[in-house]
Amino acid sequence: MVEALRCLPGVGPKSAQRMAYHLLQHDRHGAKRLAAALSGALEVLHHCSRCNNFTEQEICERCLSSRRDPSQLCVIEMPVDLNSMELTHAYNGLYYVLMGRLSPLDGVGPRELAFERLLQRAGDGLVKEVILATNYTNEGEATAHYLSEMLRARGIRVSRIARGVPVGGELEFTDAATVAQALIERRDY
Amino acid sequence: MSAKQRVDAQPAFLLHSRPYSETSLVLDVFSRDYGRVALLARGARRPRSALRGVLIGFQGLELGWFGGGEVKTLARAEWQGGQPLLAGRGLLLGYYLNELLVRLLPREDGHPLLFDAYASALAALAGGAGDAPELRRFEQILLREIGYGLSLAHDAEGAAVDGQLRYRYLVERGPIPVRGDEGMPSLSGKTLLDMAADDYRDPCTQAESKGLMRQLLAHYLNGKPLQSRRVFMELQEF
Ligand SMILES: [Zn+2]
Repeated sequence: MVEALRCLPGVGPKSAQRMAYHLLQHDRHGAKRLAAALSGALEVLHHCSRCNNFTEQEICERCLSSRRDPSQLCVIEMPVDLNSMELTHAYNGLYYVLMGRLSPLDGVGPRELAFERLLQRAGDGLVKEVILATNYTNEGEATAHYLSEMLRARGIRVSRIARGVPVGGELEFTDAATVAQALIERRDY
Repeated sequence: MSAKQRVDAQPAFLLHSRPYSETSLVLDVFSRDYGRVALLARGARRPRSALRGVLIGFQGLELGWFGGGEVKTLARAEWQGGQPLLAGRGLLLGYYLNELLVRLLPREDGHPLLFDAYASALAALAGGAGDAPELRRFEQILLREIGYGLSLAHDAEGAAVDGQLRYRYLVERGPIPVRGDEGMPSLSGKTLLDMAADDYRDPCTQAESKGLMRQLLAHYLNGKPLQSRRVFMELQEF
């Protein structure tokens, strides 16, 4: 059981042991619920055939919604990023969740991320613009770069979310790398 | 190997990192005087960690650490900057350099010359154009620093390399002249001499030196392919 718990991100041998003891000694009811929830989720949850996010349906509710604009497709790394985008209330298009990012040293490439599926999704004829919202890390940038080349080669308009000094952020308290890149990517004003 | 250290303001680059416990990272850094060092960056994955905007690959850093074990503790990290972030294809080539270092360079063995070659290769990648010479130079210095320097001006028998002849490069022995077509991959003596003179202007030199370095690196990597190269090749297929 300790071994099984260690598959969770950020759980080392010590925390795994703590969790296992807690569940078995003090919270057997909670352990049962956890086991049921896990196997239930595994049975019913799979990837939406359009956005690749987790869903219980073949196509998730968001992808089927008639209130979302099908001409915009926003590409994000992980499901949590979708929440960040939705919190903006500034985006009404659809999403595609990559479930990762290119990570060459870890052996994560276009096959592992199923780029082919995204290219098919973006080529449905309705998508007019793909907005790349992968993280502004080196890996997120590499992912965005190659996706943009592949999508453009297929005649699809591509944009990338901007980066820079945070709103309400003062230069004095912004890290030097961010200020440097904001300076390099400055625009006419 | 892992003597107690207290190091401050050491020029370094982040090669790779992996999550450790709930909020930390274990970094694989390449420092100028101490070589590759494993560092625990406590709390680096906390949402508001000041390290987030600092621990960036391919960017010059100044690090301080202490400790005696295999993994030291990061005490201080400062971003040095001075060059734009890598972009596009340059990023993938950067990962290639990092993987070479991670795979071939033993830990805690200082190589200031190699460090400087890495820094200038990154600067060339950030600049965009003409990165081939910098990559070849880096690969050559890397092999020399880990004890497998190339023989370029002289063949395996000790005779001066002739720019008019063709050669086959034998690992750990050097070039031997090819008489006639033996159906084996070969390269021109001129390429070897150009490489010795650090002159990569000739497109033929660029192509042949790339092939030679790939052959030699594959040998020292024990035939186990580079992940970054595989990913790079797969990306070209789309
Ligand atoms: Zn969906």
